[in-house]
Amino acid sequence: MRSWVTLLCALIVVVTVPGLAGHASAQASDLRFPQKVEAGTAFSVSTTGSGSATLYIIGPGDTIRRVVHLGESISFGPDDLHNAGHYVAFLVSGSSTQNAQFEVTASHQAATLSFLAKPSRLPVNLPNGVSGVAYVFDIFRNLILQPQQISFELSDSSGRAQIRSATSRDGVAWVKMNSAAKAGPAQFQAEVASVRNKRVIQQVPGDPCSIRMTAHGLGQKDKARVALETEPVRDCNGNPVPDGTIVTFTETYQGGQSMVDVPLKRGVAKTELPSHNGAVISVASGVVMGNEIRWSGGL
Amino acid sequence: MTPTSVARKTLLAAVPLLAALFLSAAGQPTVHVAPMDSVGPRPVEQQTRSSIVRDYLQAWQSMGTALGENRPDLLDASFVGLAKDKLADTIREQRSLGIASSYRDQSHDLQVVFYSPEGLSIQLLDTVEYDVEVRDHGKTVGTQHVRTRYVAVLTPTESRWKVRVFQSGS
Amino acid sequence: MTGSRLLGIILIIATVVLVVMGTIHPNQSGAMIADSRARLIGSASSPQDAVNNLMQQIGRRTWEAAYASLANKGEFTETEFVRDLNGNYGSLRSYANLDGFDSQPLRASGDEAQVRARMRWASVVGIFEDSRDLRVVRNGSQWEVAWPIVREAKVPPQVIPVNYLRWDVVYRGAEDDWGAQDVEAPHVRIIAMHPVDRGGGVVILGEVLNEDVVPAFVTVKASLLGSNGSTLATEDSFDKISHILLPKQVSPFRIDFRNVRLSQVDSVRIQPSANLVAASADPVIGIEGQKLTPLPDSSLTGSLVNQSGQVVNVAHVIGTFYDNKGQIVWVADQYPSRALLPQTPVPFTISLPADVSNKVGSYRVVASTYSSSRFQ
Repeated sequence: MRSWVTLLCALIVVVTVPGLAGHASAQASDLRFPQKVEAGTAFSVSTTGSGSATLYIIGPGDTIRRVVHLGESISFGPDDLHNAGHYVAFLVSGSSTQNAQFEVTASHQAATLSFLAKPSRLPVNLPNGVSGVAYVFDIFRNLILQPQQISFELSDSSGRAQIRSATSRDGVAWVKMNSAAKAGPAQFQAEVASVRNKRVIQQVPGDPCSIRMTAHGLGQKDKARVALETEPVRDCNGNPVPDGTIVTFTETYQGGQSMVDVPLKRGVAKTELPSHNGAVISVASGVVMGNEIRWSGGL
Repeated sequence: MTPTSVARKTLLAAVPLLAALFLSAAGQPTVHVAPMDSVGPRPVEQQTRSSIVRDYLQAWQSMGTALGENRPDLLDASFVGLAKDKLADTIREQRSLGIASSYRDQSHDLQVVFYSPEGLSIQLLDTVEYDVEVRDHGKTVGTQHVRTRYVAVLTPTESRWKVRVFQSGS
Repeated sequence: MTGSRLLGIILIIATVVLVVMGTIHPNQSGAMIADSRARLIGSASSPQDAVNNLMQQIGRRTWEAAYASLANKGEFTETEFVRDLNGNYGSLRSYANLDGFDSQPLRASGDEAQVRARMRWASVVGIFEDSRDLRVVRNGSQWEVAWPIVREAKVPPQVIPVNYLRWDVVYRGAEDDWGAQDVEAPHVRIIAMHPVDRGGGVVILGEVLNEDVVPAFVTVKASLLGSNGSTLATEDSFDKISHILLPKQVSPFRIDFRNVRLSQVDSVRIQPSANLVAASADPVIGIEGQKLTPLPDSSLTGSLVNQSGQVVNVAHVIGTFYDNKGQIVWVADQYPSRALLPQTPVPFTISLPADVSNKVGSYRVVASTYSSSRFQ
């Protein structure tokens, strides 16, 4: 009776937890794979015994099944295993199975860079405004985890360049850089060994600085209206503010108000408003205020 | 003590042990996540902390099912780009050979090591233990227990983080 | 003949009499306009009957009959009459239906009377009102309406030079290429925000600025959070915002929450979102002659002047009202019902709640425009 109960328990344990059966067989390993293999390199594995067997190599990156002759070495060419990762191997001959595990590592030679440059557009003169992140891959698109020296270069439209160097860690390196004072497209480049990747960053003018406008009557053309025009609008670094930027003219007079949002065209904003003697006319763009005029030429 | 009472006591004692073993085999993997307070260069947002772990663990489930059933379409929910391409290639190889592999992750020890300044990629290291079972035309070839380290890079999509780089080894 | 039989005959006769009376003298309320079987009053034997008849005809769009019934039809053509009511150039009126009307006698004499007609037009952006003071004159035994025609302004033939400026956007496409750049979404910023308790709900008032150099399609979403951090409600600004903002342009926004009291709210989470869109810098709209009208008709009035040469089908005017400290106290809007022709003023009126009217120290108005050929 006691032996029957013991057998039953053992059976239940084995049926319920199939992994344990696997563990038991996995420990009986005679297959000798190298612990690490570089992706894309040839290598061979020796076997013992005689007769034929089936070799399985399984990993998330590659799957191989091959009939081999025991007692001979098994050769792998450069194209057989090129995805880095952890692999398990089974050598099945009749009822016996030999197990092994090994790693395929990335090649040390960088072949491609995934370069994330952000933002693609930012105002001039912004400290640490540009970020660059580079992931380094080998020719088989494996992430190279060994440290690599990566050079980052941001050059503005006048050719002035900022250069930073960073060492990759676990396959990634990053930098932050300042945007230039001069507006225009900037080239942002990451380079490792002789592999380069380039992005374009648009450095755009900042907020308008000291907006100034003038007002004049339209004379005989229309005495009831006043013409308003700004001087060319620039940011605080002297860059012309892009056309299309909205400039708001507001005219306040006794008991009323007129206003208009005008886009800059060819660097200036101009419009006409009803003419009111004693009206105060102001100009602004976004949250930046310009000058004020007290109009005394109205009706 | 009669043989019958011994048998009864043995069975009673074995029940909790069997239940624990059964639950451990069929249940969720144990997960340990290292604190993310010192991850840089961008601080990890509270919402990202939970979603990144959830989405990464979901990716393991998706991968396990996809490789077990040889269905590359199951990768779409959790993988993108390079990682998806490589896993899909493996599934195609498996399918052409009549092989299927089952991945059952048992434990994850997760550490977020890099969150890019613009928030467009997050990298984590995972010391993972799993069982991989291989079947050839439905017949079990064998099962091995694996302990290794995975490097994963996840990138945000409209609804979730997806794994873009998924590579084991040190 | 038994008593019950007699009662039955009386009931049948009474029913027939009531049906005949109802047919001859139907109820002439504005609410009947939608009913195509509603009948006109047989004769316009009073000024109000004449006005009601005309309103019914306008509601049914029987323009010929309506025009024929007018006392002053010699002063304008039927086309001008139709355009006055039905608009032109794809304006809001072109797609509106008369939803109802009220008529109110103002004064009357033996041969002439004045009646105020308030027409309520249903349009895609809601109801707008058109109020006309109608002179009604006796013609024999009948009364006829002299229609106060509002003629469409005629734009003199001219050439208006426009340096046309627009932005087009080329996106990188759907192909997944990690690290490849895409056009950056515009950067927008909330520059003012003020929650107020109003009418049993909460209203979030604020202003948003496009601080970028490209146009943005902007929406503002707000969530009210309770003391335990839970979300009480989430709403967005819907049409109480100018969605397309050109570089450095500012728009007010208003977000209405019903059934949430300000006392329940611990904090407000505002989420502006902006997408890069193709847009045009034209037309430029002047907002002239803005004037606050005090109680009891508290409102802001003014006129929109299209400074460009292109017709604007529909305009949207949004006013931001500040107190003397510069705090936003209200945001309100209006869609003028007529198209904006070049250089032609079109009036607008933004109504203000009576309690807000007393607090207003200054105001700011923005106008956005919609043209059939594009969205601006």
